[in-house]
Amino acid sequence: MPTYIRLRGGVFGLAEDGFTTVADDEVLPPGDVIVSLTRFQADGERLLSEGRQVGVRIASDEAVEALAYDLPQIAVVALEYPKFRDGRAFTSARVLRERLGFKGEVRAVGDVLRTQAGFMVRCGFDAFEPADGSSVEDWDRATRRFRHVYQRAADGRVPAFEARGV
Amino acid sequence: MYRYDTIDREMLADRSAEFREQVERRLAGDLAEDQFKPLRLMNGLYLQLHAYMLRVAIPYGALNPTQLRKLAWIGRTYDKGYGHFTTRQNLQFHWIKLADTPDILDHLASVDMHAIQTSGNCIRNITADPYAGATAEEIDDPRVWAEAMRQWSTLHPEFSFLPRKFKIAITAAPKDRTAAKVHDIGLVVRRARDGQLGFEVMVGGGMGRTPYIGSTIREFLPANRLFSYLEAILRVYNRHGRRDNSYKARIKILVAALGAEEFARQVEAEWEKVGASVDLPDTELARIRGAFAPMSFETLPAVSEAHEAAKASDPAYARFVRNNVKPHKKAGYGIVEISLKTVGETPGDATAEQMEAVADLAERYGQDDIRVTHEQNLVLPHVRLDDLPSVHAALRAAGLASANINLASDIIACPGLDYCALANARSISVAQHIAQKFADPDRAERVGELKIKISGCINACGHHHVGHIGILGVDKKGEEFYQLTLGGSGAEDAAVGQALGPALPYDRVADAVDTLVETYLRERHDGERFLDTFRRTGVAPFKEAVYADVH
Amino acid sequence: MKALTANRLTDGEVVFWRQGQWVERFAEADLFAGDDPAGEAAEGRAKTQVLVVVEPYLIDLVESEGLWAPLSYRERIRALGPTNLNHGKQTEGGAAIAALKHAHGASRSTGRVDLIRRK
Repeated sequence: MPTYIRLRGGVFGLAEDGFTTVADDEVLPPGDVIVSLTRFQADGERLLSEGRQVGVRIASDEAVEALAYDLPQIAVVALEYPKFRDGRAFTSARVLRERLGFKGEVRAVGDVLRTQAGFMVRCGFDAFEPADGSSVEDWDRATRRFRHVYQRAADGRVPAFEARGV
Repeated sequence: MYRYDTIDREMLADRSAEFREQVERRLAGDLAEDQFKPLRLMNGLYLQLHAYMLRVAIPYGALNPTQLRKLAWIGRTYDKGYGHFTTRQNLQFHWIKLADTPDILDHLASVDMHAIQTSGNCIRNITADPYAGATAEEIDDPRVWAEAMRQWSTLHPEFSFLPRKFKIAITAAPKDRTAAKVHDIGLVVRRARDGQLGFEVMVGGGMGRTPYIGSTIREFLPANRLFSYLEAILRVYNRHGRRDNSYKARIKILVAALGAEEFARQVEAEWEKVGASVDLPDTELARIRGAFAPMSFETLPAVSEAHEAAKASDPAYARFVRNNVKPHKKAGYGIVEISLKTVGETPGDATAEQMEAVADLAERYGQDDIRVTHEQNLVLPHVRLDDLPSVHAALRAAGLASANINLASDIIACPGLDYCALANARSISVAQHIAQKFADPDRAERVGELKIKISGCINACGHHHVGHIGILGVDKKGEEFYQLTLGGSGAEDAAVGQALGPALPYDRVADAVDTLVETYLRERHDGERFLDTFRRTGVAPFKEAVYADVH
Repeated sequence: MKALTANRLTDGEVVFWRQGQWVERFAEADLFAGDDPAGEAAEGRAKTQVLVVVEPYLIDLVESEGLWAPLSYRERIRALGPTNLNHGKQTEGGAAIAALKHAHGASRSTGRVDLIRRK
């Protein structure tokens, strides 16, 4: 089974990936799957009724708001980085967490690099499929790099403007 | 001036350590160049023609003497003994070694300075009025807001990989010294009738390949809601700005495509959802505001005898005062502009010795305060008129007493093809040739305010679109050619210049500018600046004069 | 004729290819005839040296009074240093630098062979 990096309770770990990511032209395998937004919109109801866990993969030009109604039943939202320079998934993650209240897994997929680990965690990602061969230790170190943050974001860290007031 | 606290200092230390590790990984082969490049860019490090270039942030253009001395020391130790002040109030070192940069960042951090986000597709250094805290014109001190925005934008988790770079300017005075209308966001501090403080928010200005003047999307934003509103603008841009073509990726293209009204509507809708939780609490604003508390100015007579005597006896001093000294809000003080445009020199360059001389003056006569202008000059914002003769003498000794602020030889020029990997043509030597035409200070004063701005390529770092005379270097059939535009302005009367005619070869540019100026002198009515005359007459007389001998 | 150039990774210095090594002086660079496949072969080898140089590329040369000089202003400025101050490679002086400074026929602002060819 393939593995990916997961952040649970503030701790990074390597986890086995129980989900199969299925392309739109592939036949659905049994078990837990991650499908595209298009496929989810077509077959989502049926998939969810089959007693399996369902994840949805959101391309960087798709709006996560499209999932708003179904989020309580979705296990994973995989946000795609077609290139690491495409920063739209940072917004998608924050909207998922802070506005839509999504409690499931938000997974970074595609061109996912450890140099962005800190930003991803701050925006609410808690699962990562690194494309640069980085390890759990690399991600742990990268996200501990900065002792302070200046903004409120999805990770609940206390921003400087609040820390100073204490 | 704002003083960094432990949090601010530890941010810089952590950032510096992070970059040191990234450089090590690059040198060890653990990071490929295409992965490393955006990381080094976000620390201001470019690879230019001859070496690496390090762009150091000077947030809102404010420096203290310790910082300026450190910049001088870095210039001497790691560069060739100088630095180049830019049109975004930053400083660039042009001869930097990659392997030295982690140490340089540590040295910068030791004086609360950094190169964070001086490049990359993120929120860049905030531009602010260089006369902040000194001019009587301002409604509020824009540095308070600029510093708060510096912190908010630093390593912003959501907005560090935007479609393209993002530049914010803020001014609180009716006379705009920040080019706010050609920034991605231009903020103008306003006071409502009931006394409430707020901002006029302009979005979508910019230069580059397709210049736009910013559109006002909100006449009055209550000051305490600034950050939620900024988040809303940035979020709409991050989601909907184009990413398929880097020339169409700036926010100006999105605003133009949607129309300012529709863009504003989307921002307002997003803003409602953002809510106030990202806004700065009043306590934090008060803390930052406290750092910019008014200086302890002396109560002085409006007229200084020493100053008046020097004006009467020394024509060079009188000229300096006429052009380089601006009114201060306190009687007996002046705002002193230090020109980095000495005829024959490189616009914006200062040697290490000159930086140290300015640092000494700020310490001795200037309340430890130094500013950088977007027109690539320096400012001592608080000088007693009694001390002005001494300041002028010291500037003269340092080769910094050119009395040409806002005159024809006060030219903005990007580094151009002499240094920059993007340039098509040289800028510096064109500026030098033009400045030579106005080396006679009497002639320069007769011509009056004239903003000449030169860019070596369409990226427009030299702001040519908003020059009264704009000059753009192009590559035409393999030669350095220059397109001239007239009538642009980056000030409160912002406008994009209008093309004069076919591009001119390198060796005809200075003569053409001379002809334009002669045409203006012939056509002008009393009290008109070059820009005013152009706006009245249109391009015709200028075009005719420049191209008359071509046919 | 062509030469192969790049910037050195550690310090950004402009360097030229000479028999598998990188030298700082244009005068010492290997020259490749326009149709000589050795030029592209060298470029291919150089591109694998990712820990030595950044972005190597071939440049066009032009003959001026018996001397080969980079065709473009850009590449002449890279080979000599900036024109506003005498503080680049030109400070070394000597006959080769003087000859390069006075070479005629500078043209295209980008002398990059690969860029031009793509047009």
